[in-house]
Amino acid sequence: MAAAVEMEKEEESPMKKGEEALERLRSADPPLYLTQSSEFARDARAASCFLFSSLVPFCTKLPVDRLLVEGFDAEQIWYQIDLLSRPLLSTVRREFKRLEEEHHSRAGLSTIDADGDGEEMVVEKDEISVDDEGDEEDGDESEEKGSEDEEDGEEDDEDDGEADEEEEEEEEAGEAKGNVVEDKFLKMQDLENYLENAEAKEYGHPLEDFDSDGDEDAELGANARYEDFFGGNKKKQQKKCGTVGKRKRSSTELDAVDHFENTDEDVEKNDSEQKLLSTHEKELQKMRSKIEEMEKANLDPKSWTMQGEVTAAKRPKNSALEVDLDFEHNVRPAPVITEEVTASLEDIIKKRIIEGHFDDVERAPILPSKPPKETKEMDENKSKKGLAEIYEEEYAQKTGLAPALLSASDKLKTEATMLFKKISLKLDALSHFHFAPKPVIEDMSIQVNVPALAMEEVAPLAVSDAAMLAPEEIFHGKGNIKEEAELTKEERKRRRANQKRRFRRLKAETFKRAVQKTGQSAVPGATNGN
Amino acid sequence: MLKRNTRLRMEYLYRKSLEGKEREYYEKKRKIREALEEGKPIPTELRNEEAALRQEIDLEDEYTAVQKTHIDDEYATASEKDPKILLTTSREPSQRLGQFVKVCFCTLPIVIFHLELKLVFPNAARMNRGSQVISEIIEFCRAHEYTDVIFVHEHRGEPDNLVICHLPFGPTAFFELLNVVTRHDIKDKKAMGTMSEAYPHLILDNFSSKLGQRTANILKHLFPVPKPETKRIITFANKSDYISFRHHVYEKHGGPKSVELKEVGPRFELRLYQIILGTVDQQNEAQKEWVLRPYMNTAKKQNVLGA
Repeated sequence: MAAAVEMEKEEESPMKKGEEALERLRSADPPLYLTQSSEFARDARAASCFLFSSLVPFCTKLPVDRLLVEGFDAEQIWYQIDLLSRPLLSTVRREFKRLEEEHHSRAGLSTIDADGDGEEMVVEKDEISVDDEGDEEDGDESEEKGSEDEEDGEEDDEDDGEADEEEEEEEEAGEAKGNVVEDKFLKMQDLENYLENAEAKEYGHPLEDFDSDGDEDAELGANARYEDFFGGNKKKQQKKCGTVGKRKRSSTELDAVDHFENTDEDVEKNDSEQKLLSTHEKELQKMRSKIEEMEKANLDPKSWTMQGEVTAAKRPKNSALEVDLDFEHNVRPAPVITEEVTASLEDIIKKRIIEGHFDDVERAPILPSKPPKETKEMDENKSKKGLAEIYEEEYAQKTGLAPALLSASDKLKTEATMLFKKISLKLDALSHFHFAPKPVIEDMSIQVNVPALAMEEVAPLAVSDAAMLAPEEIFHGKGNIKEEAELTKEERKRRRANQKRRFRRLKAETFKRAVQKTGQSAVPGATNGN
Repeated sequence: MLKRNTRLRMEYLYRKSLEGKEREYYEKKRKIREALEEGKPIPTELRNEEAALRQEIDLEDEYTAVQKTHIDDEYATASEKDPKILLTTSREPSQRLGQFVKVCFCTLPIVIFHLELKLVFPNAARMNRGSQVISEIIEFCRAHEYTDVIFVHEHRGEPDNLVICHLPFGPTAFFELLNVVTRHDIKDKKAMGTMSEAYPHLILDNFSSKLGQRTANILKHLFPVPKPETKRIITFANKSDYISFRHHVYEKHGGPKSVELKEVGPRFELRLYQIILGTVDQQNEAQKEWVLRPYMNTAKKQNVLGA
């Protein structure tokens, strides 16, 4: 007992401490949160512990029954709190809804807004408390982190389900929004009920609320009739539930519209069709048919306009005329000949004429292929030679007695022909395979009796006798020449005999000539022939 | 005859192939000549060949100093001989237009134009095309020593194309005809009188680019050397690649500065679209000197013939 009492006391004192710490935090100035004070941090931890423990009894399925703060950093503490607070939050909300409904079912539509407000405020408070917890933990950290955590908190909420998010949005936005969305068909409560049911399924909470909600739903569903919507024919109740059960706001609106169609169609189809398709199915059918069409089009060959380069053979006749072809003409169009153009042209022409500047073809000067003719001028003076003398000279030239006088042109001619012959000899030698001998050039010139070979002499020209004739060139004799001393006797005799014979012959000739001349013999005593 | 033609063609092609090498020599000689004239030292890369080249330079005269290209070859004899032109059309134009047109064949613009062109070119002979093949025509012209053949093509009776083929192996120029106005259309025959057939003066305006010079050359050599005092003027004026052809006769009434022009003869615009280095029958095989590219993105900005 005492231990229990002590325990209680012990429990109380930390509780009290925690409370005090919380108070202190609450009363502290906001800038104080930014400062890094260990005291503040300690207070924050104590307060979180206190809050945690105070909330523990409301929670089931907790891994930890007490917040562990010593030696843990902010992340870990936050996680523990998160573990506790999530399911707690949803339960709290559900409770509120339930309360609100009860209130609503008694009060009527008009009070919904007020409740909505109330709900809002409560929810906000909830959120604030959550935020506070976050803040307390992070007292020693920067504010940004805290805000982040706030956001995280919200995100976490969102993670619960889209429904939650939408609920929040709807609630936070304000009353007006709720009014816009809601109408005869769409009821927020119904929506929220369904969402809660879904959550309950997720978190495995006791289903009492769910059942009640379900009952409520069924009730509402049963109450709602076609007359409520359209005031007339009967309608399908299940449809309504089904449509309400849809999550998205837009889809609910659509469904509301579909309701029209559905009901009309139901009326029409009642007698004819064997199978009535739901709107969803109808939509699916439409889409299916569209898809089929498009697939078929894809499989078919493309039309000629969609193909790349198309020649005339590949497209139907005259089809290019029907299509609006678009391409750039990159060609300058032909000039339109106006008066101005003509006038300008004529100006240019006139200018050129005045200048005399034309672009005619010009004849190239011909290369001279013939030599210029020698124009013989007629000498008008009286010829100094007589006619007989001229004839004599001609005759002499013809017969070759007198050499022809070379005129100046002849000299040039001969020189030119000589040069040409030399060149042509060389060219022939280059171009022909066979040897062509050097042509004989007849040259009339006096040969001086000069030695055949002129050897170079050491002695100077004036003294040397190199220019003199050699003995052979002087000597006219023939045969083997012997001196008198060399001769044999017979040879000596022979020589003498030759000499005598020659002498006698000579003498005889001279005598004969002398006789012939005088006509008489010079020899005394000889008679002429008288 | 065939052999001789083949031989001439081979020689021409051979000389064309040597051009590259000859150009080098020509350039080197030119540099040496310049250096010698200016008294500057000869460039170092030419030192080895300097002696040989200098000898050649000494032996050169005004004809050999200028470098001869195959283009000059084509028109080598043009300055000595007068051009002789054969003028003809495309095949049987009336076929396309059906029988109805045969009756009014004579009044087709193409025929009128054809007749008038004969008067424009001095020394031109006109020939009806009938169904002759182009290669036959070219052979005939070679045999008869024609220097040029001109084909006038038509579309639905209107002349739209002009092909000028220079004969020995010469270049062929393809023109498009636009805005054709024949003498027949301009005035009454009586008012015009007969067209003067003297050798005309030529005016070739605004052919400043290299291709423009080439075209001017081709057009120039269709006409013979005129007498200096002729009154007949033929103008080819180029403006943004469209060549305007005009034919005038002038008179100087007042004094040397006043000139009165009287337009005579057909008037048309020419647009060059191809030049090939061969005759018309070699259209597919011969090398294309220049071809019009109208589908290039910058085609609008280009002025190919000059300015």
